[in-house]
Amino acid sequence: MKSIWNKILKVDLTARTCKTEQMPDEVYQKFLGGAGMNAYILWHECPRGTTTFDPANRLTFAPGPMQGLKQSGAAKWTAGAISPSINMNADSAATASFGIEIKEAGYDAIVVHGRSDKPVYLLVDDEKTDIKDAADLWGKNAYEAEDGIQAAEGEKFECVTIGQAGELGVRYANIQSRKKSFVGRCGLGAVMGSKMLKGIAVRGSQSVEVDDPKEVDKLNKEINKRLAELDKLNDEWLQFKRVGTAAATELFAPQGNLPIKNYQLADFPSGVKNFHASNYAKQLNAKPWPCQYCTIQCHNNCEVKEGPYAYKGKGPEYESFAMVGFNTMVDDVKAVAYACELANLYSMDTISLGVVIAWAMECYEKGVITKKDTYGLDLSWGNAEAMVEMVRKIGTRADGLGYLLGEGTRIASERLGGGSEDWAVQMKGQEIAAHNWRAQYISALNYCTGVASGPNHERGNSQHIWVGHIRLPEWGIDEVENEERWSWNKAADRNAKFHDYCNVINSACHCKFMEFRGYTLTDLCNTINAATGMGWSLEDLRRCGDRITQLQKLLNIRYGWKKEHDFKYPKRFMEPVQEGPAAGKVPVGLEDAIMDYYKERGWDEEGRPTAAKLKEVGLEDFIE
Amino acid sequence: MKVFINLKEWEFPNGTKFIDVVDLIREAKKDEPMIKTIREKTGKANIMLFSLNGRVVQSQEYESLEIKEGDNIRWFHPYAGG
Repeated sequence: MKSIWNKILKVDLTARTCKTEQMPDEVYQKFLGGAGMNAYILWHECPRGTTTFDPANRLTFAPGPMQGLKQSGAAKWTAGAISPSINMNADSAATASFGIEIKEAGYDAIVVHGRSDKPVYLLVDDEKTDIKDAADLWGKNAYEAEDGIQAAEGEKFECVTIGQAGELGVRYANIQSRKKSFVGRCGLGAVMGSKMLKGIAVRGSQSVEVDDPKEVDKLNKEINKRLAELDKLNDEWLQFKRVGTAAATELFAPQGNLPIKNYQLADFPSGVKNFHASNYAKQLNAKPWPCQYCTIQCHNNCEVKEGPYAYKGKGPEYESFAMVGFNTMVDDVKAVAYACELANLYSMDTISLGVVIAWAMECYEKGVITKKDTYGLDLSWGNAEAMVEMVRKIGTRADGLGYLLGEGTRIASERLGGGSEDWAVQMKGQEIAAHNWRAQYISALNYCTGVASGPNHERGNSQHIWVGHIRLPEWGIDEVENEERWSWNKAADRNAKFHDYCNVINSACHCKFMEFRGYTLTDLCNTINAATGMGWSLEDLRRCGDRITQLQKLLNIRYGWKKEHDFKYPKRFMEPVQEGPAAGKVPVGLEDAIMDYYKERGWDEEGRPTAAKLKEVGLEDFIE
Repeated sequence: MKVFINLKEWEFPNGTKFIDVVDLIREAKKDEPMIKTIREKTGKANIMLFSLNGRVVQSQEYESLEIKEGDNIRWFHPYAGG
């Protein structure tokens, strides 16, 4: 098989050793790379009883067979481990060029376990590796850490780092790269911090061999051209390179998809007005900040020159400004962008952060906490200054509320009590993302049944059947009626296909925004085949996605998942809003939909993969 | 003649123009919330994009282009979001 090295780097921080390990073709043929590789490593190396901050937890950084191809969207990579928020297997994806560099250094994954007795960073320079002292970086924010490593080693090194929140164990701490891309969900930054690993720096000079270089080149040219042309034909306010994902506000609001006031409201006129695409771009002076090879260029670099929220750096994506803005009722674009960048510096997931602060605001409104608890801050809805200060309190794990909020809404509400569990919009320990289940019921099903990283809109994305009009005609999702968004008709089938779809993309390591903007499953299959020589059909691609989903489910079970967890959805799921396009809509029948999903997946009544299903997908050796 | 729209087989008479297929798809989708929103915001009735056999078709070609047996047409919405 081509486009892989058959080699991974294993790092033991306790013993301070680095060694390479060969991986047979079969692993890649079954699991591709990326998210699939993460699941495979956890299965083989983290037995039952391994917990998130246990030195035995494996933190895997893995590109896939797409890395090394000069194709739009081929800058993706995945990290995974047992997560501190959901206490189960999780993976998350990012871009910049870290994954490409791992591939160029000659590895298909870097797997870190153990715990150093003092702060370190890992250096990988092609075949040379070193575990280096990071004492002078510990305590610095994630960007300062990256600057420090590059100052010592050279700017050609691609780095990942954590900030103070990762060091201090905030359960939704993230990992950043190049100050623009983040392994956001599930708290993998805290896993890194628990190992005293401040960063990883990689440089590589090798080119992986592909199976059919002429076909790869032809596909690259054709696909890159098509994606660029499609984007250019859109109106300016819909072009990613002009506004990033900010165009979502105007498209999602009329569908009732926005999260507003801890998911209590249907509309937020000043927020929608301020966060619409052209105002976002104007207020933040947004400029494109592309990933390597990308023709769509959705990231933006922003600058606010003056005022209390002056900053220069990453512009917030839809999920970030929706949660930190709409969900807390803060309608000041600059304040929200600044708060999100603060979160990036500390290394915190902005989705969980926004939900946590919104939860705290509701606690304040209802008198469960007072100014005595909030450091004297008036934590009222929409108070930008207080919201920004709370980001600091959480990122530094300030005594009291700041520390508690760093535990996430599940633990915080259990400890605080006062009825606050009723408005903790989380499942299994992870906060719900910015796609409203009232706009399409399938979102509720997705959140309840996700196996790749708990309730995660990106490990499913089935909401995009409606909010984004995404279709998978190769896998039979084509004709969809708008009214179906409020029914369970075909929901199990569609949800399953989207879960598998996300898994193949995150295991091949491709950027889903390409898929959402004109890149088809046929393109993906053709590209994987041209690169690897595997000769897959579209059905093989689906089977691979299904296989990875099944393995993730087995891991969930191993690490403590029980059927009841899928049914412990937030109380707010069944609270309707009174106005707007989703007025009165709540996902009644969700429990039956979950059971239908189990059946669709080949799981028994307890939600466990049957032996027959595991055999069908080639996992007969993975039965415990 | 058989033509594929988003991989689904359709039957069209010989001589069918690309614009006829485009109009068919636009009509089917015109009441979807996202399409309506974009129409209200931009005043444009038509925002969907199309490819023919992997190539993006520019709007000025719709009227003159004739579809052929086995053609593979795909439509795309302007996705936005995260």
